[in-house]
Amino acid sequence: NNIDALQPLETTISDMERFKDATTLDLHCPNCSSEFPFGGIVPSNHYLMCYNGLQCKNCEKIFSTIQLTSQLESSIRSHISLYYAGWLICDDITCGNVTRQISVFGKRCLNDGCTGVMRYRYTDKQLYNQLLYFDSLFDREKNKNQEIKPLYHEGDPDFPTEKLNDSSIRALSEQNRELFEVNRGVVQKYLSDCGRRYVDMGSIFEFMA
Amino acid sequence: DPQKYKFRTMRQNLIDASDVLDEQIEIFTKIIQEHYNLSPNQFSDPTIQSQSEIYTVGRIVPDSPTFEGRLNTESIALETSRILGIGRRVRLDLSNIKELSLFCGQIVGLRGKNANNENFLVDEILSLPYPDAPVSTEEEIKGFQENFNNETMKVIVTSGPYFSETNIDMTPLIDFVDKINNQVKPHVVIMFGPFIDLTNPLISSGSIPTFPNLKIQPKTLDELFTKVMTPILKTINSQIQVILIPCTRDALSQHASYPQDSFDRKQLQLPKNFKCFTNPSTFQLNETFFGCSNVDIFKDLKEVTKGGETSSRNRFDRISEHILQQRRYYPIFPGGTRNVKIDKEKKIFKHIAGADLEVPYLGLTEFVGNVTPDVMIFPSEMPRFARVIQNVIMINPGRFIKQKGGKGTFAQITITKPSLEDDKLTKMENDDESVYLHNVWKRARVDLVST
Repeated sequence: NNIDALQPLETTISDMERFKDATTLDLHCPNCSSEFPFGGIVPSNHYLMCYNGLQCKNCEKIFSTIQLTSQLESSIRSHISLYYAGWLICDDITCGNVTRQISVFGKRCLNDGCTGVMRYRYTDKQLYNQLLYFDSLFDREKNKNQEIKPLYHEGDPDFPTEKLNDSSIRALSEQNRELFEVNRGVVQKYLSDCGRRYVDMGSIFEFMA
Repeated sequence: DPQKYKFRTMRQNLIDASDVLDEQIEIFTKIIQEHYNLSPNQFSDPTIQSQSEIYTVGRIVPDSPTFEGRLNTESIALETSRILGIGRRVRLDLSNIKELSLFCGQIVGLRGKNANNENFLVDEILSLPYPDAPVSTEEEIKGFQENFNNETMKVIVTSGPYFSETNIDMTPLIDFVDKINNQVKPHVVIMFGPFIDLTNPLISSGSIPTFPNLKIQPKTLDELFTKVMTPILKTINSQIQVILIPCTRDALSQHASYPQDSFDRKQLQLPKNFKCFTNPSTFQLNETFFGCSNVDIFKDLKEVTKGGETSSRNRFDRISEHILQQRRYYPIFPGGTRNVKIDKEKKIFKHIAGADLEVPYLGLTEFVGNVTPDVMIFPSEMPRFARVIQNVIMINPGRFIKQKGGKGTFAQITITKPSLEDDKLTKMENDDESVYLHNVWKRARVDLVST
């Protein structure tokens, strides 16, 4: 029957699967200018979550809250801007046309004779998932339960040498409560304006109009 | 209608986008038909071969979808509407045209012939009619005169950034507020964003210092504004009305696309003499219509030009005429983007900002009521200017502060009050009631002042 043909609900997909294409939050140390990806309260050779916040392992500087939130917000906005650059890609792999041109028939490929279908290369779903990934980094429950997408895999050159134990992760999540809430607030500012989060009742009930 | 800008962002639909792009061609087909007194059957499909000369309307596009960089006269095509040419594109042969200025996204009317099924040989580019100027009735003018105790209306226009890329120093803003409160005393101040520019390297790299004067340090960029900039802006004399217009690079707006919703005045903790307008926006101060748009069209519009007469003209004049003819604040498509090189050898670029067009809503960027504003303001990184083009005052006030902290500029507009006696207003005879052109360009003076 029809129910078998339905896609799994978005909410039932695991974070690992949902965030597999999400890019990392790359931070810049305002003191020593070293660059590193931030992945929540996880082991890293470059940074440490300590009791007073985020610390650069290179110079031992502790980031002030705004030094972290401003980078998070800049990252979010460059993702949004990339989305609005409106790059399209043709789904016919023998064509693969990548362009910012849109035909007056939006889905039609502009290469002569190609019957492929154009779609946004950076989709609104990808953007939404990217924002949810940033949100998860500052989610205390997910940090405590160690459900955050790992930054490194075993064998990566940068795979962290030290590990964090469960109880310190839990303690650090609580101690950085305020810092995490403020950062989540920044992500929520954009999630609250994100059209994908809301069901378009108008289009669902269009047939009644 | 500002309510229409309150749409949710980050969910563009390709079909809605293409509907708008198709509609733009349709709108101009009607305008051209009426203006040149042509009948609909004189227009036909330029993408197919024909024996006779035809009229056609379409959008200027590159002849290859993967074309990047600057167009030239050999690489231009015309895109037809769904109705006229089922959306097909045809290369243009412009060898018969002596003078031209074309850009991607421009809607044009052409006369010519497709004789070989390969390209459309253009014999004439039909110049698009300029939209009408706004008018007022005698009664309205008398009302506007009464609003004025002063002889002249004074408007100040500034455009961000308001602090440099080397330090977050508010002294220039403090000095500016002092100057307008005590010397200039304008009626209105129009301030364009960015107030907190996310592409400022200090902001994007998190190099934000502590503020020794503050008991509680700002935790977010929104708080950086309310704790550091709001207290300064609040000292603007409450008799002065202040209009804020956002920018898509502004941290203060979660609506990061153009057309862009206005700021929330209460969230910015600003008093009631502040008004927050959309980007773009059209509004009236006394009789004068202002059109404001905060995307850098003077930087982004890259023309293909041909002919000595065209190229010897001022580029800002040509672009201004394009804006007026296209009846949209940002007629370029696709919109401009800004990239930075992150790997010099491999030539890898990172996207950092752009025009961020919300294509399905581009209708909101068209001139309101098909009328040209009297004064149009387009902040740009290009050199500041104030020019009169087709009786419209076009202004780029220039940046408030230079990247490295040097003094920038603002614009000061003074407009003498409208008078029915001094012959500066042009009387237009209508059917039942006579109305007057504002002729603001005859009554206004624009100074570009160092901050």
